[in-house]
Amino acid sequence: MFLRRTIPIFIVGFFGAFTLFGWFIENESIKAFINDDATQWYDIIASFAIFLGALNLLKLQSLKVLKRQSGWQYSLIAILSFLYVFVIGFFMRGAFFVEISSIPSNPDPMINLVNETTALELNSSYFVDVNNENPFRIEVPFYTDSSADDFVAQLASLGVNSAVVPTPWGAHIQTSGGLFKWMFDNIFTPLSATMFALLAFFVASASYRAFKARNFEATLLLLAGIIIMIGRVPVGSLISSWFVMYLTVLGVGVVLSGLVRDRRIIFGWVLFGLLFVTILGMQMGWPIDKPTMFFLPALQEWIYMVPNVAGARAIMIGIGLGIIITSLRYIFGLEKSYIGDQ
Amino acid sequence: MEKLENIILKLGSIDRRIIFLIIGLAVLIPLLRPVDLPIRPGPSSQQVYDAIDSIPDNSKVLISFDYGPSTRPEIHPMTLGVMRQLLDQNRGHKIYVTCLWPDGLYMAKDALKTINKEYTLEKYEDYVLLGFRPGYEAVIKGLENNLRAVYTVDADLTSIDDIPMMEGINSLEDFDFIFSGSAGYPGSLEWVLYGPTTVPLSSGTTSIQVNEVLPYVQSGQLKGILAGMPGAAEYEALVGKKGIATSGMAAQSYGHIVIILFIILGNLAYFIKERRERKY
Repeated sequence: MFLRRTIPIFIVGFFGAFTLFGWFIENESIKAFINDDATQWYDIIASFAIFLGALNLLKLQSLKVLKRQSGWQYSLIAILSFLYVFVIGFFMRGAFFVEISSIPSNPDPMINLVNETTALELNSSYFVDVNNENPFRIEVPFYTDSSADDFVAQLASLGVNSAVVPTPWGAHIQTSGGLFKWMFDNIFTPLSATMFALLAFFVASASYRAFKARNFEATLLLLAGIIIMIGRVPVGSLISSWFVMYLTVLGVGVVLSGLVRDRRIIFGWVLFGLLFVTILGMQMGWPIDKPTMFFLPALQEWIYMVPNVAGARAIMIGIGLGIIITSLRYIFGLEKSYIGDQ
Repeated sequence: MEKLENIILKLGSIDRRIIFLIIGLAVLIPLLRPVDLPIRPGPSSQQVYDAIDSIPDNSKVLISFDYGPSTRPEIHPMTLGVMRQLLDQNRGHKIYVTCLWPDGLYMAKDALKTINKEYTLEKYEDYVLLGFRPGYEAVIKGLENNLRAVYTVDADLTSIDDIPMMEGINSLEDFDFIFSGSAGYPGSLEWVLYGPTTVPLSSGTTSIQVNEVLPYVQSGQLKGILAGMPGAAEYEALVGKKGIATSGMAAQSYGHIVIILFIILGNLAYFIKERRERKY
């Protein structure tokens, strides 16, 4: 009990308090701990968390496959993809270069072989100064050590001295033409882009079904959404502010019709509004972006910068207060979910 | 009138696969047949441009690639635009590239490849790719305290001590400007919260992320923001080099118009249905 509960709670409380109050103590050692050591501790712990995460992923997905739960095929793909990346990243390297250090008197068969194997278009000028000190690197890597060795053997049969140069560990994941980079460019990138691109379709379908002017708040959200959507894109700057003013007059007329029974008042408002906008427009010469408050790009900028930022600030302050409270709960040992308590 | 209402009602319960098809066409057609639409730089984009424009000659600029391939169409034109602005002026600026995202490394390599085709640059004299380090905001914190402890080698495993342009760079305080191309966590917010307060900082983010970053723009902690693909297109217009963001704006414009039309249609159908239900 003491080892499993009291000590972990004490460690968390002590280091939480130490890191927090350390900011208010003018001491070099404490500052060094907060700025350097604590950060590095975080890195080390986070690195171990990756192992835990990977093992957890394998465990959950494997169980799903073994129990043939719904969608187990996707879990199988997840496991295979994990193993594929793991093997290339940690064991295979997937990027082996061949360096030519001497060439025969007639280099043409060698050049043909290199060009056929690598799809490069080299000629004899590339090999003019080739020697042991200045080897020529064929800039297309082989995926495996054995395929690179085979190629070196083929070159040797043509009287060429060459050697396999593996890409250093670490650099292998970013080597152009390597197996890891191939996987990134041809599998990961299109899949990621596809997932993100699908958002457009879901947003369209969801907004079509959910954006209904059911009440005042929903109508406000709907209008703000439309103004942002159209004001953010170049088409918005093609829509005259006068068109928006006419729409506003008609919109207010629609709202009035729900509030006032006397149709003459509604008719009077619409007529007055349309006349007012028309006369004002004639006076001002119908500039597309004036009056600014009815110009959609300016209107969306205002929505972004005023009500939106106000809301965002409120949320951020709320989150900040929540973080403070949660941190204090950890420091005082009230929050114990990390040791399994509810 | 009733016939028209019936048509609207039918359209109001349209199958979502048809909506997907129409959205797909609205996005695809302008991409295949580009339409030139006017791009007006907004105040936030202009602020980023002016902030970079005002840094002194021979500045050291850190660009952080905090995004991956999924958000590449939005963020990549921004990072490219910032690099072009720095290099176009020919004022001796040096570019230092870091990545808080593992796939940011590939984005950075791709961006540097593109930039190297457009300008005559010397690796380790004009730019250096420091690469990715795991640890999220702890990396920023570490960079601020001791950059050389976080990066002992660059992305090509060259020792930092052997890179000429790293001379005198020991922490984030030694840079003159920081720009983060950010698609989420870790990104713009972490740079604001954990980065240096003395170095001007700016950011380009996805449209989704803009809301949470805007308060920091208003407070002056961020020198402007490039907001989503429109922000990227605006920046391309400011730098004077049209690219993928500008061509994507037509697709986004038509996509938004179609979505708005669907919203209007959905609302008309909703009101007709409501009225009929009230009648009976």
